[in-house]
Order: sequence, then C-alpha cells, then structure tokens
Amino acid sequence: MYNLFIFIKKYNAVILFILLEVLCIIMIVQSLPYQNRKMVNLSNNIAGGISRTTSNWYDYLHLKSENEALVEQNALLLSRLACDEAEADTAYYDDIFTYIPAHVINNSIYEMNNFILIDKGKVDGIEPEMGVICDKGVVGKVLNVSNHYSSVMSLLNSYSVVSCRFVDNQYVANVVWDNESYRFGIVKDIPSHLIINVGDTLVTSGFSNSFPADIMVGTIEENLSNNNEMFSTAKLKFSTNFSTLRHVYIVKNNYRAEIDSLCITR
Amino acid sequence: MYNTLIRNIIRFVVLVIMQVLVFDNIRFGSYIHPYVYVLFVMLLPFNFTKARLLIDGFLIGMAVDIFSGTPGLNAAATVFMAFMRPYIIGLTTRQSDIEGKNFPTVTEMGLQWFAIYGILLLLLHNLVLFWLEAFSIKLFGLILLETLLSSIVSLLIILLIIYLFKPIKK
Repeated sequence: MYNLFIFIKKYNAVILFILLEVLCIIMIVQSLPYQNRKMVNLSNNIAGGISRTTSNWYDYLHLKSENEALVEQNALLLSRLACDEAEADTAYYDDIFTYIPAHVINNSIYEMNNFILIDKGKVDGIEPEMGVICDKGVVGKVLNVSNHYSSVMSLLNSYSVVSCRFVDNQYVANVVWDNESYRFGIVKDIPSHLIINVGDTLVTSGFSNSFPADIMVGTIEENLSNNNEMFSTAKLKFSTNFSTLRHVYIVKNNYRAEIDSLCITR
Repeated sequence: MYNTLIRNIIRFVVLVIMQVLVFDNIRFGSYIHPYVYVLFVMLLPFNFTKARLLIDGFLIGMAVDIFSGTPGLNAAATVFMAFMRPYIIGLTTRQSDIEGKNFPTVTEMGLQWFAIYGILLLLLHNLVLFWLEAFSIKLFGLILLETLLSSIVSLLIILLIIYLFKPIKK
C-alpha cells in the first residue's frame, strides 16, 4: 500500500496526463456521431450570446452588400409575382411550406464537419430536420434546437446528403460534399448513360420533406467519371456562397406530421 | 505571487478571446490555421509543477473548445503540449541557463531560444490537433503539411503579439 502511494506521488504528472487525455478523447468520440452533439447544444447556449454580439458588429460592416443582395432578391420576387399574375390559371398558391427568416451568427467552412449557428430556436417554431435555404440556394438542415438558437448542418459536412434533380432531363442524383473546398461538392449516383455537360444546373428534387422542389443547389463544374462504373460522379459548384452567408430562411413543412404518418419516404 | 496569478488570468482571457473571435476566422489558404492561444502554456513560469501545467493546459484548451463546439479536441492537444513542455525545455537548455530565470519569455531567454522552443511545442500541438480532427491515418501526408505550415504561421503571429505587448524597458 505504501509503495502504491510512493508510486502515485512519483508519477502523479504522468497519471494526470493519461487521465486528462482519456477524458478528452472520450469527449471527442462522444461528439463524433453528429446526432449526439449535446455538447454543441450546451455551447450553443453559452457561446450563442457572445457570437450574436460580434455578429451584430459584423452586420454593420456588411450593410451595403446586404442591401444590394436584398434589392436583387426583391426584384426577382417581383418578376416572379408578375409571371404568376400573367398565367393565373396555372399558378397555385403554395401553402405547404412556410419560410422563417433567420440570421447566421456563427459559421464554419474549413472544418471536416461544418455547422452554422442561427438565431432562431424552439420558441420560433424551429424543429430538427427542417431545411435551410438562402436567396442563392440550399444551405443545409437544422440539427439541434435550443430555445433561442439552432445549429444547422451545412452542406459542407461529411454527413450531409441532398437529393437533387437535373433541370434539363429530370434525372435524380445525390449531392455530397467533396471535403476540401467550401465552393465545391460531388454529385453521386448519376445513371451512367446520362451525358453530363459542364454547366448543367441541379435543383432540389422535393423528395425529402425538408426542402421544397426546385431550389437551386449548384452547377456542374467537371465530369469526374470514367466509363466502367455503374454510376457516374461529377464535381458541382454550389450556388450558395458559404463564406459570405448572413441571412437564411428555414423551411417549415406544414404537412410534415401528416406525411411522416404515412411513412412512405425514408 | 498574486501578480503572476492576475497576469495569467488576464493572459488567459485575452488569448481565448483573440483565438475565438479573430484567429478562428482567419485562414490563409485551406492548410493554414493559426493557433495562438497556446502562447499561454508556453509562457507559464518555470517553477510550475508538471501537474499544474497539465491542468492549466486543459483549462485553456477546454475554453477554446466550448466556443468552437469541438469538445475535447483543443484540450487534448494542449494537455499533450503541456506534458511535453518540461522535456522540450530540458532539451533546449542547460540547467545553468534557467537558474535565476522565472519565465520562458523572449526578454529573459532570448529570441533565438524562444523561436526554437515555440516551434517545437507548436509542432507537437498541431500534430495532435489535426490528427484528432481528421481521426484517420489515411490523410497523414495532408496532416503533416497542415501541421508544418500552421506551426510556422502561428509562431510568426505569436512573435508579433509578444513584441506588441512587450513591456517597455526602463
């Protein structure tokens, strides 16, 4: 027993070192599956307030470019409205999806798994799995919700998959991230007989409950496939610029519970 | 004594804020990520016990982790660095060199020594950090490149900060 005390006294630093490292690694491993990011939720609440203050400062610096972007979007919406009025018989009122505007208060783009923090939470009706879009295109999906903040898994995440459709020929494929640059993703599972052209546009398919159909995802940058594979892949340039993201909209599917109760998707 | 404690607390807060608000948002290309908060561990006094170094390293690593939403990642790297610090000091100095000196700073130990000491600690820290972040051996070449470039840039920024905050000699 005495020897044990001597041993602990002599090697206390090494023992402490091993204990602390084991503790750290347990924490890292626990946070690895993205569903179990409880700690992120905790730090959402602690860091959320501070990030929000700094974000307010940055907002002032970006007022001019933000204004320009909003004007641009206004113009787009007005033109769409004009179109709808012109062909009133084919236009239908979309009450399936409601859009909740939110601010980005923290954003990462250089990690292996990137997350965005937004300033709307449970109180504003946000729930996990809701889609997040911006005026340029798809951003990601809501992952965790606290009372006033939510964390969003952006497309720049190794767990992120979005179901997409080629605008030209209606074929469906999946978009994942290329794990390297925040500007590019990979389109997987393209039927190999399909001829892929650089510049082809991809939009959301609307097959998931998170996103409405026909939201822009990106354009094809490069064809990566060789001929002897079942499915082709291609490099995609995201239409969303993740490094300058400030305003986003959370997509709320009003019939989600009803659709889920049928359990046909999944 | 109290002077050292207060100075360390201020240094802790300032470095965490700098890291989280400024340097986490800066990337020079996709391989360089400066970690500046490790300066805190580098500047702890010579007479601290190993256990105290480890605990201080763990605390500042955890503080940065809470803000970056990566529990344990920075803490693991900083604890490893704090553990290696006495050996690095032993490797780069003779016992007679540090007698009568209190802090491993540029003013007391000279720029050349500090640069070697700093880059060795940064390399260890960044290697553990990037490896844990990637969590695979497959990307080892990439991790080495990232470690090397980030360490050099971090050291330059750390030296800049030291010269910015250096007390003026009478």
